[in-house]
Amino acid sequence: MKRFMRVLALGLVASLLLSSAALAADTIKIGLQAPLTGKYASEGLDMKNLVEILAAKVNADGGVKGKKIEIIAEDDAFDPKTAALAAQRLVTSGVVAVIGTYGSSITEAAQDIYDEEDVIQIATGSTMVRLTEKGLENFFRTCPRDDSQGAAAAQVLKDRGYKRIAILHDNSSYAKGLADETRKRLDDNSVVFFDALNPGEQDYNTILTKIKGFNPDVIFFTGYFNEAGLLLRQKKEMKWDVAMMGGDATNNLDLVKIAGNDAAKGFFFVSPPGVNDLTSPFAKEVLDTYKAKYNSLPASIWSVFAGDAFLAIVEALRQTDSTDPEVLSEYLRNKMDNYPGLTGSIAFDNKGDRAGKFYRVSEVNADGEFVMLP
Amino acid sequence: MEEFFQQLTNGLAVGGIYALIALGYTMVYGVLKLINFAHGDLFTIGAFLGLTLLTSLGLTDSIGPVAGLLVLAVMVVILVGVVGFLLERIAYRPLRSSPRLSAVVSALGASIFFQNAIMLIWGARPLVYPHGLLPNVTVNVFGAELPLIRILMFVISVLLMCGLYYLTHKTRIGTAIRAAAIDQGAAKLMGIDVNRVISLVFMIGPALGGAAGVMVGLYYGQINFTMGWLYGLKAFTAAILGGIGNIPGAMLGGLLLGVVESLGAAYISIAWKDAISFLVLILILIVRPTGLLGERVADKV
Repeated sequence: MKRFMRVLALGLVASLLLSSAALAADTIKIGLQAPLTGKYASEGLDMKNLVEILAAKVNADGGVKGKKIEIIAEDDAFDPKTAALAAQRLVTSGVVAVIGTYGSSITEAAQDIYDEEDVIQIATGSTMVRLTEKGLENFFRTCPRDDSQGAAAAQVLKDRGYKRIAILHDNSSYAKGLADETRKRLDDNSVVFFDALNPGEQDYNTILTKIKGFNPDVIFFTGYFNEAGLLLRQKKEMKWDVAMMGGDATNNLDLVKIAGNDAAKGFFFVSPPGVNDLTSPFAKEVLDTYKAKYNSLPASIWSVFAGDAFLAIVEALRQTDSTDPEVLSEYLRNKMDNYPGLTGSIAFDNKGDRAGKFYRVSEVNADGEFVMLP
Repeated sequence: MEEFFQQLTNGLAVGGIYALIALGYTMVYGVLKLINFAHGDLFTIGAFLGLTLLTSLGLTDSIGPVAGLLVLAVMVVILVGVVGFLLERIAYRPLRSSPRLSAVVSALGASIFFQNAIMLIWGARPLVYPHGLLPNVTVNVFGAELPLIRILMFVISVLLMCGLYYLTHKTRIGTAIRAAAIDQGAAKLMGIDVNRVISLVFMIGPALGGAAGVMVGLYYGQINFTMGWLYGLKAFTAAILGGIGNIPGAMLGGLLLGVVESLGAAYISIAWKDAISFLVLILILIVRPTGLLGERVADKV
């Protein structure tokens, strides 16, 4: 009897091992590192939900070369120490690539672990500049980085042909950073004014009067919607109809409320698209599925970047017919060309940053609505 | 020259608001030697009450814009006066005989209370006065285009200040206020009801702050629950600049602070605007430690 039991046990173990081996051969594992608990759990859960919807869609269509995709989600709790552990667990579970994560410092804690173990990582909400400046072969991101808004803003100013640009920030590290990055990319002669206002005040007539003395053809204000609204209102009151542009911190309809439709009309800003702005048929289809399943859209654009990371990985797997990280990395970096993702076309530059046009320009129309320009 | 004049008027308009609020600080300090840190928040309450009354009563539609706004302002002034009266009764009177520091702590507490109460009642998002209440007419003065509203605002501020000066220096009750400011004990012996005087001061000061709040709301449009802090700080500075406890000093200090800020921003640096005005404050206090007009304060403290 004892012996029979032993044989039975051995047989069970063997069959288990066999079946899992057979299963492993049928699936490709993709890791997801996300804050599933803690302060940003809502973002992490949105990421997971969206990636799972996309994975189910890929699997329903026959998977990748006949193999099913399996998502292995690990929680980093928006904490660097937990993130390092999560990365270790994902690496040992045999994933070919990892999607995530949300916070920059969290990504940084996990980055080297993936790199050492030759696992592709595509970060989704980590905008800190230096993450892609380390020369890591296997690191990518689908979100823009902190200085790319400046580049986008400078491009818009150039495209619109402004020759005399006044740049105004509010001394917050965000607004000053954007102002500096923009100025760096503009011709020195075209920036006629560069200074900061004091946020939280009510009266900006002094500043407007001063800027008017420099006779600019556009004012680029990099601060928040509150001050932008007041500037527009007081500019209108001065009967000065110079163009005004904002950064993504002005993407708030309270701006129009404060300025009034008349004064806000024609104001434009550069900003990443919001979840509601994703209107491509593919994005619509995916988001509709999401809404049907979870009764709401993802709360922010950051979780949608996780979907793009997933799509990029699957496309790389399909095109290269390989799970070798070196081949995949080479494909993502050099060959992926404007693959249609959820937030726009996906491509990566040499550093692994998302390439291509991502920031969009929106303008306030006569009814005080934000209209995204094509 | 034209730009200089424009900037000067910009400064005077802001300075007029500072001065109105500074009067509240200075009156309370003059009588009680207390810095009423909640004063900036009473100004905010004025702005929010004004908006609520404006939208709920629709006075500007029923009795015309000018009369409507006037009635509205009077209502807000009275209401904020009542809030000031209650503030003194609840937060300051029980501490009248305690060390002065206790009253200062109570004032800070009242400020925090008001700020959070405003946030809970009206919400944390900025609110906006209805557009198009005031006509956007500009007047050409010496080559500079000035919005009529700015001029009116300045004129109203000066009129209110003159009214206050008249009240404190030419009337019986004003004499009582000044007597209580100089020596409460002696004033009591002369038959002055000091408690009533203090209550009155706590109604007049906040009422002026409330009037400033309505004007700021009407003119700038946007109001938020933290705005009293910055205005309060600036007005407090203005009161010290002019000599705290001195009513003409608060007016002078407010206007001067506004003009220094505006010209400093215009001709030196916008980002250093506040640093410049505080530098001027320090320089003036080094030369005249009691402020510009605050001669009698030295022996009071």
